[in-house]
Amino acid sequence: MREVFTLAVSAVLLAGFYAAMAYGLGLIYGVLRIVNLAHGGIIMAAAYLTWQLFERFGVDPYIAIPVALVVFFALGAGIYLGLVRFLPRGPAGAVQSLLLLFGVWLIIRNVAYLLFTGNEQAIHTSYATRSVTVFGSSFSVTRILVFAIAVVALLLLHLLLTRTYLGKAIRAVAQNPDSCTLAGIDVERVRIFTFGLGTALAGLAGVLASTLFAFNPSFGAAELLKSFVIIVLGGLGSIVGIALGACVLAFAEVFSIYVVPPYLTSAVGFVLLVVVLVLRPGGLFGQRVLR
Amino acid sequence: MLEVRDLEAGYGDAQALFGISLSVNAGELVTLVGANGAGKTTTLRAIAGICRPAHGSLLFEGKPLNAVPAHHRAALGIALVPEGRELWPQLTVLENLELGAFERGARSRRTQSLEKVFELFPVLKERAKQLAGSMSGGEQQMVAIGRALMSRPRLLMMDEPSLGLAPVMVTHMFAIIRRLHAEGLTILLVEQNLSRALEIADRGYVIETGKVSLTGTAEELLTNPAVRTAYLGI
Ligand SMILES: Nc1ncnc2c1ncn2[C@@H]1O[C@H](COP(=O)(O)OP(=O)(O)O)[C@@H](O)[C@H]1O
Ligand SMILES: [Mg+2]
Repeated sequence: MREVFTLAVSAVLLAGFYAAMAYGLGLIYGVLRIVNLAHGGIIMAAAYLTWQLFERFGVDPYIAIPVALVVFFALGAGIYLGLVRFLPRGPAGAVQSLLLLFGVWLIIRNVAYLLFTGNEQAIHTSYATRSVTVFGSSFSVTRILVFAIAVVALLLLHLLLTRTYLGKAIRAVAQNPDSCTLAGIDVERVRIFTFGLGTALAGLAGVLASTLFAFNPSFGAAELLKSFVIIVLGGLGSIVGIALGACVLAFAEVFSIYVVPPYLTSAVGFVLLVVVLVLRPGGLFGQRVLR
Repeated sequence: MLEVRDLEAGYGDAQALFGISLSVNAGELVTLVGANGAGKTTTLRAIAGICRPAHGSLLFEGKPLNAVPAHHRAALGIALVPEGRELWPQLTVLENLELGAFERGARSRRTQSLEKVFELFPVLKERAKQLAGSMSGGEQQMVAIGRALMSRPRLLMMDEPSLGLAPVMVTHMFAIIRRLHAEGLTILLVEQNLSRALEIADRGYVIETGKVSLTGTAEELLTNPAVRTAYLGI
Protein backbone atom coordinates (compact mmCIF):
# COMPACT_ATOMS: atom_id res chain seq x y z
CA MET A 1 0.00 0.00 0.00
CA ARG A 2 2.80 2.35 1.00
CA GLU A 3 4.52 1.50 -2.27
CA VAL A 4 1.42 2.20 -4.35
CA PHE A 5 1.09 5.59 -2.65
CA THR A 6 4.74 6.40 -3.32
CA LEU A 7 4.41 5.40 -6.97
CA ALA A 8 1.17 7.33 -7.45
CA VAL A 9 2.68 10.53 -6.06
CA SER A 10 5.80 10.01 -8.20
CA ALA A 11 3.56 9.59 -11.23
CA VAL A 12 1.69 12.82 -10.52
CA LEU A 13 4.97 14.70 -10.04
CA LEU A 14 6.26 13.28 -13.33
CA ALA A 15 2.99 14.11 -15.10
CA GLY A 16 3.41 17.79 -14.24
CA PHE A 17 6.77 17.84 -15.98
CA TYR A 18 5.40 15.86 -18.92
CA ALA A 19 2.47 18.25 -19.41
CA ALA A 20 4.76 21.29 -19.49
CA MET A 21 7.04 19.42 -21.89
CA ALA A 22 4.23 18.49 -24.28
CA TYR A 23 2.43 21.81 -24.33
CA GLY A 24 4.89 23.59 -26.62
CA LEU A 25 4.61 20.84 -29.19
CA GLY A 26 0.81 20.89 -28.94
CA LEU A 27 0.57 24.65 -29.22
CA ILE A 28 2.67 24.80 -32.37
CA TYR A 29 0.81 21.89 -33.91
CA GLY A 30 -2.56 23.36 -32.99
CA VAL A 31 -1.91 26.71 -34.60
CA LEU A 32 0.47 25.89 -37.47
CA ARG A 33 -0.38 22.22 -38.14
CA ILE A 34 3.34 21.51 -37.98
CA VAL A 35 4.99 18.84 -35.83
CA ASN A 36 8.04 20.60 -34.44
CA LEU A 37 10.62 17.83 -34.73
CA ALA A 38 13.22 20.21 -33.30
CA HIS A 39 11.30 20.11 -29.98
CA GLY A 40 13.68 17.54 -28.47
CA GLY A 41 16.71 19.46 -29.67
CA ILE A 42 15.43 22.60 -27.97
CA ILE A 43 14.91 20.69 -24.72
CA MET A 44 18.51 19.45 -24.92
CA ALA A 45 19.88 22.89 -25.79
CA ALA A 46 18.05 24.42 -22.83
CA ALA A 47 19.51 21.76 -20.55
CA TYR A 48 23.01 22.74 -21.73
CA LEU A 49 22.26 26.45 -21.35
CA THR A 50 21.16 25.81 -17.76
CA TRP A 51 24.24 23.72 -17.09
CA GLN A 52 26.55 26.40 -18.49
CA LEU A 53 24.88 29.14 -16.45
CA PHE A 54 25.22 26.94 -13.37
CA GLU A 55 28.83 25.87 -13.93
CA ARG A 56 30.24 29.17 -15.15
CA PHE A 57 28.24 31.74 -13.26
CA GLY A 58 26.76 29.74 -10.42
CA VAL A 59 23.22 30.58 -11.49
CA ASP A 60 20.66 28.32 -9.85
CA PRO A 61 18.79 26.30 -12.52
CA TYR A 62 15.42 27.64 -11.46
CA ILE A 63 16.68 31.22 -11.57
CA ALA A 64 17.80 30.47 -15.14
CA ILE A 65 14.20 29.95 -16.25
CA PRO A 66 13.50 33.56 -17.32
CA VAL A 67 16.76 33.61 -19.28
CA ALA A 68 15.87 30.36 -21.03
CA LEU A 69 12.36 31.60 -21.83
CA VAL A 70 13.71 34.75 -23.49
CA VAL A 71 16.52 32.96 -25.35
CA PHE A 72 14.32 30.19 -26.69
CA PHE A 73 11.41 32.46 -27.52
CA ALA A 74 13.81 34.45 -29.68
CA LEU A 75 15.28 31.29 -31.18
CA GLY A 76 11.79 29.96 -32.01
CA ALA A 77 10.68 33.22 -33.56
CA GLY A 78 13.93 33.21 -35.52
CA ILE A 79 13.40 29.65 -36.77
CA TYR A 80 9.91 30.63 -37.89
CA LEU A 81 11.02 33.81 -39.64
CA GLY A 82 14.11 32.31 -41.20
CA LEU A 83 12.77 28.89 -42.22
CA VAL A 84 9.28 27.74 -41.35
CA ARG A 85 7.46 30.64 -42.94
CA PHE A 86 8.73 29.69 -46.39
CA LEU A 87 7.06 26.27 -46.26
CA PRO A 88 3.99 25.72 -48.42
CA ARG A 89 0.81 26.06 -46.37
CA GLY A 90 -1.48 23.16 -45.66
CA PRO A 91 -0.96 19.45 -46.33
CA ALA A 92 1.50 20.23 -49.14
CA GLY A 93 4.00 21.49 -46.58
CA ALA A 94 3.62 18.64 -44.09
CA VAL A 95 6.51 16.48 -45.30
CA GLN A 96 8.75 19.46 -45.95
CA SER A 97 8.12 20.75 -42.43
CA LEU A 98 9.13 17.40 -40.93
CA LEU A 99 12.35 17.30 -42.95
CA LEU A 100 13.15 20.93 -42.26
CA LEU A 101 12.67 20.73 -38.51
CA PHE A 102 14.44 17.39 -38.31
CA GLY A 103 17.33 19.19 -40.01
CA VAL A 104 17.17 21.93 -37.40
CA TRP A 105 17.34 19.29 -34.70
CA LEU A 106 20.42 17.67 -36.29
CA ILE A 107 22.13 21.05 -36.45
CA ILE A 108 21.38 21.85 -32.81
CA ARG A 109 22.58 18.40 -31.78
CA ASN A 110 25.83 18.56 -33.70
CA VAL A 111 26.59 22.04 -32.47
CA ALA A 112 26.15 20.65 -28.96
CA TYR A 113 28.54 17.76 -29.72
CA LEU A 114 31.08 20.28 -31.02
CA LEU A 115 30.81 22.59 -28.04
CA PHE A 116 30.32 20.12 -25.21
CA THR A 117 31.44 16.69 -26.54
CA GLY A 118 29.27 13.63 -26.06
CA ASN A 119 29.98 13.26 -22.33
CA GLU A 120 27.05 12.95 -19.97
CA GLN A 121 26.49 16.04 -17.85
CA ALA A 122 24.35 16.65 -14.82
CA ILE A 123 23.64 19.58 -12.55
CA HIS A 124 24.42 19.02 -8.90
CA THR A 125 22.76 21.72 -6.86
CA SER A 126 23.25 21.86 -3.12
CA TYR A 127 19.70 20.63 -2.63
CA ALA A 128 19.77 17.94 -5.36
CA THR A 129 19.84 15.10 -2.87
CA ARG A 130 17.46 16.58 -0.33
CA SER A 131 14.03 15.06 0.09
CA VAL A 132 10.87 15.51 2.11
CA THR A 133 8.89 12.78 3.79
CA VAL A 134 5.14 12.58 3.37
CA PHE A 135 3.20 9.81 5.15
CA GLY A 136 6.42 7.88 5.48
CA SER A 137 7.35 8.08 1.80
CA SER A 138 10.16 10.35 0.74
CA PHE A 139 10.19 12.52 -2.38
CA SER A 140 13.07 14.55 -3.74
CA VAL A 141 12.83 18.31 -3.40
CA THR A 142 13.87 18.70 -7.02
CA ARG A 143 10.94 16.68 -8.27
CA ILE A 144 8.52 18.67 -6.17
CA LEU A 145 9.99 21.96 -7.37
CA VAL A 146 9.77 20.83 -11.00
CA PHE A 147 6.16 19.85 -10.51
CA ALA A 148 5.27 23.19 -8.90
CA ILE A 149 6.98 25.20 -11.63
CA ALA A 150 5.32 23.14 -14.36
CA VAL A 151 1.89 23.64 -12.83
CA VAL A 152 2.42 27.39 -12.46
CA ALA A 153 3.62 27.60 -16.07
CA LEU A 154 0.58 25.72 -17.33
CA LEU A 155 -1.78 27.92 -15.34
CA LEU A 156 -0.15 31.10 -16.67
CA LEU A 157 -0.39 29.72 -20.18
CA HIS A 158 -4.04 28.90 -19.65
CA LEU A 159 -4.69 32.46 -18.49
CA LEU A 160 -2.82 33.84 -21.50
CA LEU A 161 -4.86 31.74 -23.92
CA THR A 162 -8.25 32.35 -22.36
CA ARG A 163 -8.07 35.83 -20.87
CA THR A 164 -6.02 37.99 -23.21
CA TYR A 165 -6.73 39.31 -26.68
CA LEU A 166 -3.48 37.78 -27.90
CA GLY A 167 -4.38 34.37 -26.48
CA LYS A 168 -7.83 34.45 -28.02
CA ALA A 169 -6.25 35.44 -31.32
CA ILE A 170 -3.91 32.43 -31.07
CA ARG A 171 -6.87 30.09 -30.61
CA ALA A 172 -8.80 31.81 -33.38
CA VAL A 173 -5.90 31.47 -35.83
CA ALA A 174 -5.86 27.75 -35.03
CA GLN A 175 -9.53 27.52 -35.97
CA ASN A 176 -9.93 29.86 -38.93
CA PRO A 177 -7.06 32.11 -40.04
CA ASP A 178 -8.94 33.91 -42.83
CA SER A 179 -11.57 35.11 -40.41
CA CYS A 180 -8.76 36.46 -38.25
CA THR A 181 -7.40 38.48 -41.15
CA LEU A 182 -10.88 39.89 -41.74
CA ALA A 183 -11.06 40.92 -38.09
CA GLY A 184 -7.80 42.83 -38.44
CA ILE A 185 -5.52 40.26 -36.81
CA ASP A 186 -2.04 40.01 -38.32
CA VAL A 187 -2.08 36.23 -38.66
CA GLU A 188 1.60 36.03 -39.55
CA ARG A 189 2.56 37.83 -36.34
CA VAL A 190 0.42 35.45 -34.32
CA ARG A 191 2.23 32.54 -35.97
CA ILE A 192 5.65 34.02 -35.16
CA PHE A 193 4.59 34.52 -31.56
CA THR A 194 3.15 31.02 -31.32
CA PHE A 195 6.30 29.40 -32.66
CA GLY A 196 8.33 31.48 -30.23
CA LEU A 197 6.06 30.59 -27.30
CA GLY A 198 6.05 26.88 -28.16
CA THR A 199 9.84 26.92 -28.37
CA ALA A 200 10.12 28.84 -25.09
CA LEU A 201 8.00 26.13 -23.44
CA ALA A 202 10.37 23.48 -24.81
CA GLY A 203 13.14 25.59 -23.32
CA LEU A 204 11.38 25.57 -19.95
CA ALA A 205 11.05 21.79 -20.21
CA GLY A 206 14.79 21.62 -20.90
CA VAL A 207 15.65 23.65 -17.81
CA LEU A 208 13.44 21.42 -15.67
CA ALA A 209 14.83 18.27 -17.29
CA SER A 210 18.39 19.35 -16.56
CA THR A 211 17.64 19.20 -12.85
CA LEU A 212 16.05 15.76 -13.08
CA PHE A 213 18.22 13.81 -15.50
CA ALA A 214 21.75 13.51 -16.81
CA PHE A 215 21.99 14.56 -20.44
CA ASN A 216 24.20 14.53 -23.49
CA PRO A 217 23.65 16.06 -26.96
CA SER A 218 21.37 13.18 -27.98
CA PHE A 219 19.07 13.94 -25.07
CA GLY A 220 15.58 14.99 -26.12
CA ALA A 221 14.65 12.23 -28.55
CA ALA A 222 12.61 10.32 -25.98
CA GLU A 223 11.16 13.62 -24.73
CA LEU A 224 9.95 14.52 -28.23
CA LEU A 225 8.31 11.13 -28.64
CA LYS A 226 6.71 11.29 -25.21
CA SER A 227 5.36 14.77 -25.95
CA PHE A 228 3.89 13.38 -29.12
CA VAL A 229 2.29 10.50 -27.22
CA ILE A 230 0.74 12.93 -24.74
CA ILE A 231 -0.76 15.07 -27.48
CA VAL A 232 -2.21 12.07 -29.25
CA LEU A 233 -3.63 10.80 -25.96
CA GLY A 234 -4.97 14.07 -24.68
CA GLY A 235 -5.67 16.03 -27.83
CA LEU A 236 -5.08 19.72 -28.27
CA GLY A 237 -8.44 20.63 -26.84
CA SER A 238 -7.34 22.24 -23.65
CA ILE A 239 -4.93 22.26 -20.78
CA VAL A 240 -7.12 19.58 -19.23
CA GLY A 241 -6.58 17.24 -22.18
CA ILE A 242 -2.82 17.69 -22.06
CA ALA A 243 -2.82 17.14 -18.29
CA LEU A 244 -4.86 13.95 -18.66
CA GLY A 245 -2.59 12.69 -21.45
CA ALA A 246 0.45 13.41 -19.29
CA CYS A 247 -1.12 11.58 -16.34
CA VAL A 248 -1.93 8.51 -18.43
CA LEU A 249 1.64 8.33 -19.71
CA ALA A 250 3.25 9.01 -16.32
CA PHE A 251 1.08 6.48 -14.48
CA ALA A 252 1.61 3.86 -17.19
CA GLU A 253 5.37 4.35 -17.01
CA VAL A 254 5.65 4.42 -13.25
CA PHE A 255 3.38 1.45 -12.62
CA SER A 256 4.87 -0.57 -15.46
CA ILE A 257 7.62 -1.62 -13.04
CA TYR A 258 5.20 -4.30 -11.87
CA VAL A 259 5.09 -5.90 -15.31
CA VAL A 260 8.22 -5.01 -17.27
CA PRO A 261 11.89 -4.59 -16.34
CA PRO A 262 12.95 -0.95 -15.69
CA TYR A 263 14.96 -0.59 -18.89
CA LEU A 264 11.72 -1.03 -20.86
CA THR A 265 9.93 1.83 -19.08
CA SER A 266 10.44 4.29 -21.90
CA ALA A 267 8.90 1.83 -24.36
CA VAL A 268 5.65 1.91 -22.38
CA GLY A 269 4.59 5.20 -23.92
CA PHE A 270 5.02 3.94 -27.43
CA VAL A 271 3.05 0.80 -26.81
CA LEU A 272 0.36 3.04 -25.37
CA LEU A 273 0.51 5.24 -28.47
CA VAL A 274 0.10 2.32 -30.85
CA VAL A 275 -2.78 0.87 -28.85
CA VAL A 276 -4.59 4.20 -28.74
CA LEU A 277 -4.02 4.93 -32.43
CA VAL A 278 -5.46 1.53 -33.32
CA LEU A 279 -8.43 1.63 -30.94
CA ARG A 280 -9.25 5.33 -30.81
CA PRO A 281 -7.57 7.23 -33.65
CA GLY A 282 -9.14 10.45 -32.39
CA GLY A 283 -7.18 10.22 -29.13
CA LEU A 284 -8.42 9.20 -25.70
CA PHE A 285 -9.88 12.54 -24.79
CA GLY A 286 -10.80 13.72 -28.29
CA GLN A 287 -10.48 17.41 -29.45
CA ARG A 288 -8.28 17.85 -32.46
CA VAL A 289 -8.61 21.62 -32.30
CA LEU A 290 -6.93 24.07 -30.01
CA ARG A 291 -9.77 25.77 -28.25
CA MET B 1 -17.09 55.27 -51.08
CA LEU B 2 -15.91 52.10 -52.85
CA GLU B 3 -14.75 52.00 -56.43
CA VAL B 4 -13.70 48.79 -58.17
CA ARG B 5 -12.13 49.07 -61.63
CA ASP B 6 -11.38 46.24 -64.06
CA LEU B 7 -10.86 43.75 -61.28
CA GLU B 8 -9.32 40.43 -62.35
CA ALA B 9 -8.64 37.65 -59.87
CA GLY B 10 -8.62 33.89 -59.64
CA TYR B 11 -7.37 30.77 -57.92
CA GLY B 12 -4.04 29.55 -59.25
CA ASP B 13 -4.41 29.11 -62.98
CA ALA B 14 -8.19 29.38 -62.92
CA GLN B 15 -9.25 32.96 -63.50
CA ALA B 16 -12.59 33.78 -61.87
CA LEU B 17 -13.01 37.53 -62.46
CA PHE B 18 -12.56 39.03 -65.92
CA GLY B 19 -12.69 42.77 -65.32
CA ILE B 20 -15.35 43.65 -62.76
CA SER B 21 -16.12 47.33 -62.30
CA LEU B 22 -18.55 48.58 -59.72
CA SER B 23 -19.04 51.34 -57.20
CA VAL B 24 -20.83 51.84 -53.92
CA ASN B 25 -21.70 55.32 -52.68
CA ALA B 26 -21.88 56.28 -49.02
CA GLY B 27 -25.18 55.25 -47.48
CA GLU B 28 -26.19 52.99 -50.34
CA LEU B 29 -27.31 49.39 -50.23
CA VAL B 30 -25.93 47.78 -53.36
CA THR B 31 -26.53 44.16 -54.24
CA LEU B 32 -24.48 41.78 -56.34
CA VAL B 33 -26.52 39.00 -57.87
CA GLY B 34 -25.77 36.18 -60.27
CA ALA B 35 -25.64 32.44 -60.66
CA ASN B 36 -23.47 30.08 -58.62
CA GLY B 37 -19.82 30.39 -59.61
CA ALA B 38 -20.29 33.80 -61.27
CA GLY B 39 -17.59 35.36 -59.11
CA LYS B 40 -19.51 37.22 -56.41
CA THR B 41 -17.60 35.72 -53.49
CA THR B 42 -14.27 36.26 -55.21
CA THR B 43 -15.15 39.94 -55.74
CA LEU B 44 -15.89 40.46 -52.03
CA ARG B 45 -12.78 38.54 -50.99
CA ALA B 46 -10.66 40.74 -53.25
CA ILE B 47 -12.14 43.89 -51.72
CA ALA B 48 -11.50 42.50 -48.22
CA GLY B 49 -7.96 41.59 -49.26
CA ILE B 50 -7.92 37.85 -48.61
CA CYS B 51 -7.78 37.18 -52.34
CA ARG B 52 -5.09 39.00 -54.29
CA PRO B 53 -6.23 40.67 -57.50
CA ALA B 54 -4.17 39.97 -60.62
CA HIS B 55 -5.22 43.21 -62.22
CA GLY B 56 -7.42 46.23 -61.61
CA SER B 57 -7.68 48.84 -58.91
CA LEU B 58 -9.62 49.21 -55.70
CA LEU B 59 -10.36 52.62 -54.19
CA PHE B 60 -11.87 53.09 -50.76
CA GLU B 61 -12.87 56.64 -49.87
CA GLY B 62 -10.60 57.86 -52.64
CA LYS B 63 -7.53 55.98 -51.39
CA PRO B 64 -6.03 53.05 -53.28
CA LEU B 65 -6.50 49.74 -51.46
CA ASN B 66 -4.31 47.42 -53.50
CA ALA B 67 -1.18 47.95 -51.41
CA VAL B 68 -3.03 47.83 -48.06
CA PRO B 69 -2.52 44.43 -46.36
CA ALA B 70 -5.75 42.55 -45.71
CA HIS B 71 -5.47 42.79 -41.92
CA HIS B 72 -5.26 46.59 -42.09
CA ARG B 73 -8.48 46.91 -44.05
CA ALA B 74 -10.69 46.34 -41.00
CA ALA B 75 -9.19 49.47 -39.46
CA LEU B 76 -10.17 51.43 -42.58
CA GLY B 77 -13.78 50.45 -42.02
CA ILE B 78 -14.19 47.49 -44.35
CA ALA B 79 -15.90 44.39 -42.96
CA LEU B 80 -16.96 41.15 -44.60
CA VAL B 81 -19.50 38.65 -43.35
CA PRO B 82 -18.11 35.68 -45.27
CA GLU B 83 -20.05 33.05 -47.13
CA GLY B 84 -20.66 30.08 -44.85
CA ARG B 85 -20.15 32.33 -41.78
CA GLU B 86 -16.60 31.11 -40.99
CA LEU B 87 -16.87 31.53 -37.24
CA TRP B 88 -14.34 30.25 -34.74
CA PRO B 89 -16.45 27.26 -33.73
CA GLN B 90 -14.57 26.35 -30.54
CA LEU B 91 -14.67 29.87 -29.16
CA THR B 92 -17.70 31.17 -27.32
CA VAL B 93 -20.16 33.58 -28.92
CA LEU B 94 -18.76 36.34 -26.74
CA GLU B 95 -15.17 35.55 -27.76
CA ASN B 96 -16.18 35.58 -31.42
CA LEU B 97 -17.70 39.01 -30.94
CA GLU B 98 -14.78 40.34 -28.90
CA LEU B 99 -12.28 39.29 -31.55
CA GLY B 100 -14.37 41.11 -34.14
CA ALA B 101 -13.23 44.24 -32.32
CA PHE B 102 -9.56 43.24 -32.32
CA GLU B 103 -8.32 46.30 -34.12
CA ARG B 104 -7.29 49.12 -31.77
CA GLY B 105 -9.95 51.70 -32.64
CA ALA B 106 -12.73 49.15 -32.49
CA ARG B 107 -11.38 47.67 -29.25
CA SER B 108 -11.64 50.95 -27.40
CA ARG B 109 -15.33 51.10 -28.23
CA ARG B 110 -16.17 47.46 -27.81
CA THR B 111 -18.55 47.89 -24.88
CA GLN B 112 -20.87 50.13 -26.91
CA SER B 113 -20.52 47.90 -29.96
CA LEU B 114 -21.40 44.84 -27.92
CA GLU B 115 -24.47 46.56 -26.51
CA LYS B 116 -25.56 47.43 -30.04
CA VAL B 117 -25.06 43.84 -31.27
CA PHE B 118 -27.00 42.43 -28.29
CA GLU B 119 -29.78 44.90 -28.96
CA LEU B 120 -29.91 43.77 -32.60
CA PHE B 121 -29.70 40.07 -31.69
CA PRO B 122 -30.95 39.57 -28.10
CA VAL B 123 -30.53 35.79 -28.37
CA LEU B 124 -26.74 36.26 -28.59
CA LYS B 125 -26.72 37.82 -25.14
CA GLU B 126 -28.44 34.75 -23.70
CA ARG B 127 -26.05 32.46 -25.54
CA ALA B 128 -22.89 34.52 -24.94
CA LYS B 129 -21.09 31.70 -23.12
CA GLN B 130 -22.04 28.98 -25.59
CA LEU B 131 -19.56 27.68 -28.16
CA ALA B 132 -20.29 29.29 -31.52
CA GLY B 133 -20.08 25.94 -33.30
CA SER B 134 -22.94 24.55 -31.23
CA MET B 135 -25.47 27.18 -32.35
CA SER B 136 -28.12 26.81 -35.04
CA GLY B 137 -27.42 28.10 -38.56
CA GLY B 138 -29.47 31.25 -38.04
CA GLU B 139 -27.79 32.03 -34.73
CA GLN B 140 -24.38 31.47 -36.29
CA GLN B 141 -25.28 33.95 -39.01
CA MET B 142 -26.19 36.44 -36.28
CA VAL B 143 -22.78 35.90 -34.69
CA ALA B 144 -21.11 36.42 -38.06
CA ILE B 145 -22.95 39.68 -38.65
CA GLY B 146 -22.40 40.73 -35.04
CA ARG B 147 -18.69 40.02 -35.32
CA ALA B 148 -18.45 42.19 -38.44
CA LEU B 149 -20.36 45.00 -36.72
CA MET B 150 -17.97 44.87 -33.75
CA SER B 151 -15.25 46.25 -36.02
CA ARG B 152 -17.32 49.42 -36.48
CA PRO B 153 -17.40 49.15 -40.27
CA ARG B 154 -18.29 51.92 -42.65
CA LEU B 155 -18.73 49.46 -45.49
CA LEU B 156 -20.39 46.18 -44.54
CA MET B 157 -20.13 43.42 -47.12
CA MET B 158 -22.33 40.36 -46.69
CA ASP B 159 -21.96 37.17 -48.69
CA GLU B 160 -25.23 35.25 -48.94
CA PRO B 161 -26.40 35.85 -45.37
CA SER B 162 -29.64 33.98 -46.02
CA LEU B 163 -27.97 30.83 -47.37
CA GLY B 164 -29.26 27.65 -45.76
CA LEU B 165 -31.55 29.40 -43.29
CA ALA B 166 -35.14 28.54 -42.44
CA PRO B 167 -37.70 30.85 -44.15
CA VAL B 168 -38.54 32.68 -40.90
CA MET B 169 -34.84 33.31 -40.34
CA VAL B 170 -34.41 34.55 -43.92
CA THR B 171 -37.14 37.13 -43.34
CA HIS B 172 -35.50 38.12 -40.07
CA MET B 173 -32.10 38.55 -41.78
CA PHE B 174 -33.52 40.78 -44.48
CA ALA B 175 -35.25 42.87 -41.83
CA ILE B 176 -31.94 43.27 -40.02
CA ILE B 177 -30.15 44.29 -43.23
CA ARG B 178 -32.88 46.79 -44.02
CA ARG B 179 -32.58 48.22 -40.52
CA LEU B 180 -28.79 48.56 -40.68
CA HIS B 181 -29.18 50.33 -44.02
CA ALA B 182 -31.87 52.64 -42.61
CA GLU B 183 -29.48 53.56 -39.79
CA GLY B 184 -27.05 54.82 -42.42
CA LEU B 185 -24.65 51.92 -42.89
CA THR B 186 -23.27 51.41 -46.39
CA ILE B 187 -23.86 47.82 -47.49
CA LEU B 188 -22.67 45.63 -50.33
CA LEU B 189 -24.87 42.54 -50.34
CA VAL B 190 -24.35 39.35 -52.31
CA GLU B 191 -27.51 37.28 -52.64
CA GLN B 192 -28.93 34.34 -54.53
CA ASN B 193 -32.35 35.39 -53.40
CA LEU B 194 -32.55 38.03 -56.09
CA SER B 195 -36.09 39.26 -55.65
CA ARG B 196 -35.71 39.83 -51.91
CA ALA B 197 -32.32 41.46 -52.37
CA LEU B 198 -33.63 43.87 -55.00
CA GLU B 199 -36.61 44.61 -52.79
CA ILE B 200 -34.39 46.25 -50.16
CA ALA B 201 -31.50 47.46 -52.37
CA ASP B 202 -30.94 50.86 -53.98
CA ARG B 203 -28.93 49.53 -56.90
CA GLY B 204 -27.71 46.20 -58.21
CA TYR B 205 -25.15 44.53 -60.43
CA VAL B 206 -25.76 41.27 -62.24
CA ILE B 207 -22.55 39.23 -62.51
CA GLU B 208 -22.08 36.53 -65.14
CA THR B 209 -18.88 34.47 -65.44
CA GLY B 210 -16.68 37.08 -63.86
CA LYS B 211 -18.11 40.16 -65.60
CA VAL B 212 -20.84 42.67 -64.90
CA SER B 213 -23.56 41.89 -67.41
CA LEU B 214 -26.15 44.37 -66.24
CA THR B 215 -26.49 47.20 -63.77
CA GLY B 216 -29.14 49.64 -62.72
CA THR B 217 -31.42 50.71 -59.93
CA ALA B 218 -33.20 47.93 -58.08
CA GLU B 219 -36.43 48.87 -59.80
CA GLU B 220 -34.89 48.78 -63.27
CA LEU B 221 -33.45 45.34 -62.63
CA LEU B 222 -36.67 43.99 -61.16
CA THR B 223 -38.61 45.04 -64.24
CA ASN B 224 -35.91 44.07 -66.75
CA PRO B 225 -37.29 41.26 -68.95
CA ALA B 226 -33.92 39.48 -69.23
CA VAL B 227 -33.51 39.42 -65.45
CA ARG B 228 -37.08 38.27 -65.00
CA THR B 229 -36.67 35.25 -67.26
CA ALA B 230 -33.12 34.32 -66.25
CA TYR B 231 -33.28 34.80 -62.46
CA LEU B 232 -36.87 35.12 -61.40
CA GLY B 233 -38.30 32.43 -63.66
CA ILE B 234 -41.14 34.66 -64.78
N1 LIG C 1 -11.04 28.07 -53.52
C1 LIG C 1 -11.21 27.99 -54.88
N2 LIG C 1 -10.32 27.32 -55.63
C2 LIG C 1 -10.47 27.25 -56.97
N3 LIG C 1 -11.47 27.80 -57.64
C3 LIG C 1 -12.41 28.48 -56.96
C4 LIG C 1 -12.32 28.61 -55.53
N4 LIG C 1 -13.38 29.33 -55.10
C5 LIG C 1 -14.07 29.63 -56.20
N5 LIG C 1 -13.51 29.13 -57.31
C6 LIG C 1 -13.98 29.28 -58.69
O1 LIG C 1 -14.03 30.67 -58.99
C7 LIG C 1 -15.20 30.97 -59.69
C8 LIG C 1 -15.99 32.04 -58.97
O2 LIG C 1 -16.42 31.51 -57.72
P1 LIG C 1 -17.17 32.37 -56.62
O3 LIG C 1 -16.54 33.71 -56.55
O4 LIG C 1 -17.18 31.57 -55.39
O5 LIG C 1 -18.61 32.49 -57.22
P2 LIG C 1 -19.99 32.87 -56.54
O6 LIG C 1 -19.70 33.41 -55.18
O7 LIG C 1 -20.60 33.86 -57.44
O8 LIG C 1 -20.81 31.62 -56.48
C9 LIG C 1 -15.97 29.67 -59.89
O9 LIG C 1 -15.69 29.18 -61.18
C10 LIG C 1 -15.39 28.78 -58.83
O10 LIG C 1 -15.42 27.44 -59.27
MG1 LIG D 1 -20.36 32.67 -53.39
